[in-house]
Amino acid sequence: MLRDAGTLTGRCVRLSARQVDAVITALALPVMLMLVFVYFFGGAIDTGTRYVTYVVPGVLALCAGFGAATTAVSVSQDMKDGIIDRLRSMDVSGTAMLTGHVLASAVRNTVATAVVFGVAFLIGFRPGAGAAGWLAAGAVLIAYILALSWLSAAVGLLVRSPEAAGGFTFFVMFLPYPSSAFVPIETMPGWLHGFSEHQPATPVIESLRELLLGQPAGATAWQALAWCGGIVAASVPAAAALFRRRTRG
Amino acid sequence: MTTRARTRRLYGVHALADTVTMLRRSLRHAWRSPSMTLTVVGMPVVTLLLFTYVLGGALGDGIGGPYARGGAYVDYVAPGIILTAATAGALVTAVAVCVDVTDGLGDRFRTMAISRASFLTGHVVGSLVQTLLSVLLVLAVAVLAGFRPDATPVEWLAAFGVLTLLTLALTWPAALVGLVARTPETASNVPMPVQFLPFLGSAVVPPETMPAGLRWFAEYQPFTPATDTLRGLLTGTAVGGSALAAVAWCGGLAAVGYVWARSAFDRGAGRRGVPEARGGPGVPGGPGGPGGPGYEG
Repeated sequence: MLRDAGTLTGRCVRLSARQVDAVITALALPVMLMLVFVYFFGGAIDTGTRYVTYVVPGVLALCAGFGAATTAVSVSQDMKDGIIDRLRSMDVSGTAMLTGHVLASAVRNTVATAVVFGVAFLIGFRPGAGAAGWLAAGAVLIAYILALSWLSAAVGLLVRSPEAAGGFTFFVMFLPYPSSAFVPIETMPGWLHGFSEHQPATPVIESLRELLLGQPAGATAWQALAWCGGIVAASVPAAAALFRRRTRG
Repeated sequence: MTTRARTRRLYGVHALADTVTMLRRSLRHAWRSPSMTLTVVGMPVVTLLLFTYVLGGALGDGIGGPYARGGAYVDYVAPGIILTAATAGALVTAVAVCVDVTDGLGDRFRTMAISRASFLTGHVVGSLVQTLLSVLLVLAVAVLAGFRPDATPVEWLAAFGVLTLLTLALTWPAALVGLVARTPETASNVPMPVQFLPFLGSAVVPPETMPAGLRWFAEYQPFTPATDTLRGLLTGTAVGGSALAAVAWCGGLAAVGYVWARSAFDRGAGRRGVPEARGGPGVPGGPGGPGGPGYEG
């Protein structure tokens, strides 16, 4: 099972690398957003700190989320192309297939967020984290990627076409906006506060911000990990059940 | 009336009839495949809601003046977002023209005794109709979100004139993109940066809040005078010389785009397959060529 998952992870990573336009989009979109927000809008946004320092954790989460959500498209494409049937005839388990997609997503998005981070550093982001802070921030980011990748895998099995799965990526991409990613939640209308404060992207972004800037993360990091754990706990069995339903008969 | 004048007038009537036919075809296509139209309409609406409710508080405070501390930032941002709705027409045109060309319909129309201009004009005017409908929807959502324009009927007419001119300025070059692009995917990707440009102008924040180099770019790019003119007409802020600059930019781009797209279509840009050796489209004696049916002179 582990060997199968490793092989299929390699396959998915290779497929991703061959889709040049998708790779460019996954990298260019967050970088462009970061540059636009920092240079064009940042001068008009007061966050009590340099805007680049405030916005980078939000962009990292957006990049990770958008990249992870594309797992829905790749899973849906595999279902449509009939690859799944070929693999099942070779006695490869469904769990290994889905795990391959999820781990490939983790690899892909770790690289993408590293690139975004590199650009952030070039435009003036200066994290003040120690070794423990870096490790903790990395753990939160990877947990977020894995959670959204498993959720995306389930969505990819739920929808009937890769185009419909593509719609999910846009939903996930918009999730960080009504959070503390780009502006403080206090500046939003009162009726938005409830959603913005209690949606999964907010604790992830807040904990990344605190950990990278060398501040005590406190309960926020645990909240972020709880969200990620909850999403994984719901998505893995859902994906397994959907996979069985789609491949039955 | 001389024979030449009568022929010219008759040709004008035929050209208009052909264009109307192509326009009807273009609108029918849009009606039958609404996904593109919904995307074109949906994105500006989502963007408007995002900038008004999610980012508006912080941006309004940053701009200051009447927009600060819960003031109606929507009054500042709505004209800019309405403008982005107009840019979406370029995407529709590029994709629709490319689909027709890759399906071989461009070649078929070239061989028919119809006005050469009508194929592209039908697409462009169809896109213009869709765009203006999308603008009306975005405007309605903006009003629901608190936008309160205080324009006179003349200013409303002028505002729609600016939007029409801008749409034409973007859709004619987009028609050219549709002719030369190899696939509809490529055709849809090329106009994307254009849809991004209004945000790099005065659509969301005034250029004064930007760093020096970017401020220069934001002030002198074509969307800034168009945005400022639209904002001035709808909300009563000073228009100044931006109206003239907007008309000059839009008129210039539309004229260049029209001439270039027309000449590209006449030359057979985007033709798929091998052109006929003799008597083919555009060849003397052939359909569309001198002395052949569909020749424009």
